[in-house]
Amino acid sequence: MAASPLFTLSVSSGKFGPRTGTLSINRNDGTPAIRTPTPALLTTTSRGVIPHLSRDSVRITDAIQHIHLPFESFLDRNPPVLTLVGGSHPLHQFLGYETNKHVITLTLRDPSDRRKMPTNGNDFVSAQCTRGVRKVSPSAWKTYVQKCKPDLVVALSDTPFTPPPHSQKRLTKSIERSISWLADFLRAPADHSASRPANVLVHLVGGAEPHARAEFADRLTEPIEQNAATGLSPLNMLDDGVAGYVFDLLHLHTALAAEGGRAIEPTGPVDELLKVSDSQRSSADSSARLAELLQASLDPLSTQKPRFVNSPVSPHEILRLVRDVGIDLVDGFWAQRAADIGVAFDFRFPVPPEPGTVSTDCPPPRTRESGRIDLGHNLFDSRYRHDHSRLSSSFSDGHSAEQSGQDDLPVCPCGACSPRSPAFHLLHSSVDVQAWQDLQRPVPSSLLQPPFVRSYIHHLLHTHEMSSHSLLAMHNLTVLSAFLDGIRGVLARDSPKGELDKEIGRFEQMYDEKMVLWDEAATMWLTVEHARGKGRLAREREKQAVTTVGAAVET
Amino acid sequence: MQFEVLAKCHTTRARVSRMRLAHGVTMLPTFMPVATQAAIKGLTPQQVEALGINLILNNTYHLNLRPGIQVLKEAGGAHKFQGWTHNLLTDSGGFQLVSLSKFTKITEEGALFASPFDGSPTMLTPEESISIQHTIGADIIMQLDDVVSSLTVGPRVEEAMWRTIRWLDRCIEFHQSSGKDDVQNLFAIVQGGLDAELRDKCLDEMIARKDKVAGYAIGGLSGGEEKDVFWRVIKQCADKLPEDRPRYSMGIGFAEDLLVCVALGVDMADCVFPTRTARFGVALTFKGPLNLRLGKHATDMRPIEEGCPCPTCTSGMTRALLNHTATLETAAAHAITQHNLVFQARVMGGAREAIINGTFPQYLKDFFANYFGDVGYPEWCVSALRSVGVDLLEGRPESKTVSGDGAKWEYSDAA
Ligand SMILES: [Zn+2]
Ligand SMILES: [Zn+2]
Repeated sequence: MAASPLFTLSVSSGKFGPRTGTLSINRNDGTPAIRTPTPALLTTTSRGVIPHLSRDSVRITDAIQHIHLPFESFLDRNPPVLTLVGGSHPLHQFLGYETNKHVITLTLRDPSDRRKMPTNGNDFVSAQCTRGVRKVSPSAWKTYVQKCKPDLVVALSDTPFTPPPHSQKRLTKSIERSISWLADFLRAPADHSASRPANVLVHLVGGAEPHARAEFADRLTEPIEQNAATGLSPLNMLDDGVAGYVFDLLHLHTALAAEGGRAIEPTGPVDELLKVSDSQRSSADSSARLAELLQASLDPLSTQKPRFVNSPVSPHEILRLVRDVGIDLVDGFWAQRAADIGVAFDFRFPVPPEPGTVSTDCPPPRTRESGRIDLGHNLFDSRYRHDHSRLSSSFSDGHSAEQSGQDDLPVCPCGACSPRSPAFHLLHSSVDVQAWQDLQRPVPSSLLQPPFVRSYIHHLLHTHEMSSHSLLAMHNLTVLSAFLDGIRGVLARDSPKGELDKEIGRFEQMYDEKMVLWDEAATMWLTVEHARGKGRLAREREKQAVTTVGAAVET
Repeated sequence: MQFEVLAKCHTTRARVSRMRLAHGVTMLPTFMPVATQAAIKGLTPQQVEALGINLILNNTYHLNLRPGIQVLKEAGGAHKFQGWTHNLLTDSGGFQLVSLSKFTKITEEGALFASPFDGSPTMLTPEESISIQHTIGADIIMQLDDVVSSLTVGPRVEEAMWRTIRWLDRCIEFHQSSGKDDVQNLFAIVQGGLDAELRDKCLDEMIARKDKVAGYAIGGLSGGEEKDVFWRVIKQCADKLPEDRPRYSMGIGFAEDLLVCVALGVDMADCVFPTRTARFGVALTFKGPLNLRLGKHATDMRPIEEGCPCPTCTSGMTRALLNHTATLETAAAHAITQHNLVFQARVMGGAREAIINGTFPQYLKDFFANYFGDVGYPEWCVSALRSVGVDLLEGRPESKTVSGDGAKWEYSDAA
C-alpha cells in the first residue's frame, strides 16, 4: 500500500508565507486515519500525562488531539517502563490516549525545560528524571523508539544547555553531532531486522546564529557521501528521511536575551517555583528576530514538511510566526502554564467585529494603560470574588447559548464553560436506579449545565483546590485551539496573506502583549503557594526538580 | 424529607432505605465524600456524579471563611456555586472551630473564637450556625453541638452533653421559625462521650424531640478512642435511635469501620480519608490498600483492581503509570480519587445489595476474609459483628485476629 503523505498543504504562499494544510496519521494497522487541519495545537505532557487532567477530562476536551510526549521522566527506571508495554500502540495504551483521536509525538527532552544541564557528549544527550541526570545514547534512543512506536518522533539533537551565548566552536560541535545522530537514527540495520523509523522530525539547530542555522540546514540537504551511505539507501540526502522540522523557541528566546545582555535565568529563592519561561515575553522585535532565525533554517529545506514550534509565549508571537515563517503546529505550553497560575483565557482571533459591544453580564478583561486589554483573567485577583460570570466574555457557554438560542458569540465547548451531566451513572446496587431515575424529578431536556464561574474558580484557587487547575487547563487549551481555528479561517479567505496581516494588526491593537496580567497572576500564585507552608514548598521543589508543567499534588 | 426503610437484614441491624431530599433520592446506607471547600479534591461535580454518588458534604466552617456567606448568597447557594445538582449535607462548623482554632472558648451562648481574618472575638451561636447553613442551602444541616474530644473525661463531658441538648432546642427553634424546614432537614447530634450512662440520657432527650428533627448523628467519636469502645457506643446509639430516622456516623471512612457501623444499624457516614489518602498515592481495594508509590508497582501492568468499574480502572490505567505519577502529578491524585470514591461506593452498594438479598452476613464474611484474611482480623470487628449475630471466624479455625485498630497499611516508603 502506498504510504499516504504525512502532510499536505492547502493554502500557501512562498517559502515562508502563512499556510494551511492537513497532517494525516495513517498507521495502516486498522486504526482510523487521523487528519488534523493546520495550524494546529500540540498539547504538552508532564510525566506522560496532561497536567491536571484525568483521562475522562482529556476525553471531553476536543482541543486535545496532538500530544507532545517527552520521554525523559521515564528514564528513572531501567529499562524505562514505556519500553515494557508491548503491543501495537504502547504509548496510547499505557498513557490512556485514544488511537482514533490522539496523535503522539515522542521526544527525549521536555522543550519547556530550560534548567542548566550537564553538557552532552559526542555520543549521548543529558536528560533529566527524578533520580537525576541520565545519559541517553543515540542507539538507546533508537531502541526506545522502536519499542514505543510513536506516531511521530523527534531525532536526538545536540542543544547546548549551558547558559548562552555559545561559541562558534560549540555551535559547530552541535551541528556535527546532530547530523551524525540523525544519520544514525535514519540508518536501517544491515540485517533488515527493523525498518527505518518513519515520521521522523528533526530539531533545526544552530542557536541564535543565522549562519550556523543555515549550515545545519545545508548539511541536511547535502548528498549523502558514499562512505556514509550504509543503511541510508535510498535516501539521497538526510532531509529525504525527515518528515518535519522542530523549533524550540525557549532556547532561542534565552539566546536572544543573552545577546541583549538580559539574563533570564531564575534568580533568588522567592522565585524558585517560577520557570524560565514565566519571565519570557514577546514583542514585534523579538518575533522578527525569531522569524529571521527560523527562516535561516528553512531556506534550503522543503516547503512541503510540517513545521513544529515549541513553547511560544504569546498568541501575538504565534500569529507573527504563522505570517512570517509559515509554522504549522504550536504547542500549548503557554496555555497550560497559565492554568497553573490561575489565568483564564479570554481572547479570540480574529478579534470580534465590534469589540466595543460587550455583554454587560460578562465583563471583558482589564484594559491596561496602553489601551489594550488583557488576554484573560487573573482569577487570583480579589476583583473576581463577586464576579459570577462565565470565564470568557469573548465566548458564550453551552447552557446559555442553548437557553437563549442566540449565536452572536461562539460557544466555548470546554468542560468549564459547557459542562455536561454524565449520561450514565455507575450503579452500585440494584436499588440505585431509584435514585437516578427519580420519577418525581423532572427529566432535564439537555445534559448541559451552567458554566463554572469566575467567583468559584477564584475560590478554588485561594483554597488550593486542584479542580481550579483542571477547569482552567480544559478552558485555556480550548481557547487556544479556537484561536488556531480562527487563523485557519482567515487563511481561507481570498487574499489570505493580506487578510491575515490586517487581522494581526487588529489583534495587536486589542490585546496586551506585555502581559502585565501574567506577572500579577504569578505574584499572587506565589503568595498563595508560599502561604501553604514549608511542607508544601518542599513538595513543590521535589516536583520542580522533575518536571516543568503542572503544580504539585496537594495534601 | 421522606425516609423509608426498604429492607432489613434478618441477622444484623443493617437496613436499606430510601431518603428523598430536595435534590433527589439517595439510597442508604451510603458513604458521603467530603467536599470541604465546595469541591471534591480535583474532580468536577459532573465527574463525581458519574461515579454514582449523589450525596456529598460541605464544611460550614470553611465555606463561611471562603468564599463567605455573601458570595454564596449572590451565587444562590452552595449547590449553584459549585455546580452540584444532587444532595448536600453541611456540618455545623463547631467541630472545625474546636479542632482548628486553639482559642475557641465555649460559653452557653455559643462558641467564642478569634476571627481568622482580624483576630477579633467572634461568636458562633446555634442560631448563627443554622443561619449560615440556611444560606449555604444544604439538604441536610447539622445542629451546633458542644464538641469535646472523645478522650476527655470528667464533668466536662456531661456539661457538653447537656449543652448540646440545649443548643439543639435553640437550633430547632431557629430552624422552624425560618420557614426553611420544609426544604432543609435538621439533624441532631448525640453526644455523651464514651460514657454509656451519659449517652443514654442524651439519647432519651433527643429522641423526645424526634418530631422536630429529621435524623440523628452519632457524634463525639473518631477522636482517637479505642475501637472496642467506639463500636459499643455506636451500637448503643443505633440500637436506641428511632427506626424511622436516618442515622449518621460522623467521621467514619475505613471500609471495615463502615461495614461494622452498617451492621450495627448506621445509614450514613463521611470521611476525608479516601480522597486524602489518594493524594498520597494510596488506592483502596477489596484486598486492602495499595501504596502505589512503592517500587514493586513500577512495572505492574495491572489496573488498581480487576473488575473495578471506576473511570481509572476501566481506562486501562496501570499501577505502573500511577507509580510513575503519584504525588508528582495532580492527574494521578484525580485518578486514584475517582477509584477510591468508587471503592467506597462499592463497599456500601454491595452492602445494600446483600441486605436486600438477605445475604449481608455472608457479605461481611467475604469482605473481611478478602480484606484481612492474610494479616488477621481486627479483634474489635470480630466482637462488634458477634454482637449482632455474625461470627467472622466461623468455619475459619486457621484465621488470626489482631488486637488494636487493625488498620491495614502498606507503610513502607522503600522504592
Ligand atoms: Zn471554556
Ligand atoms: Zn478502580
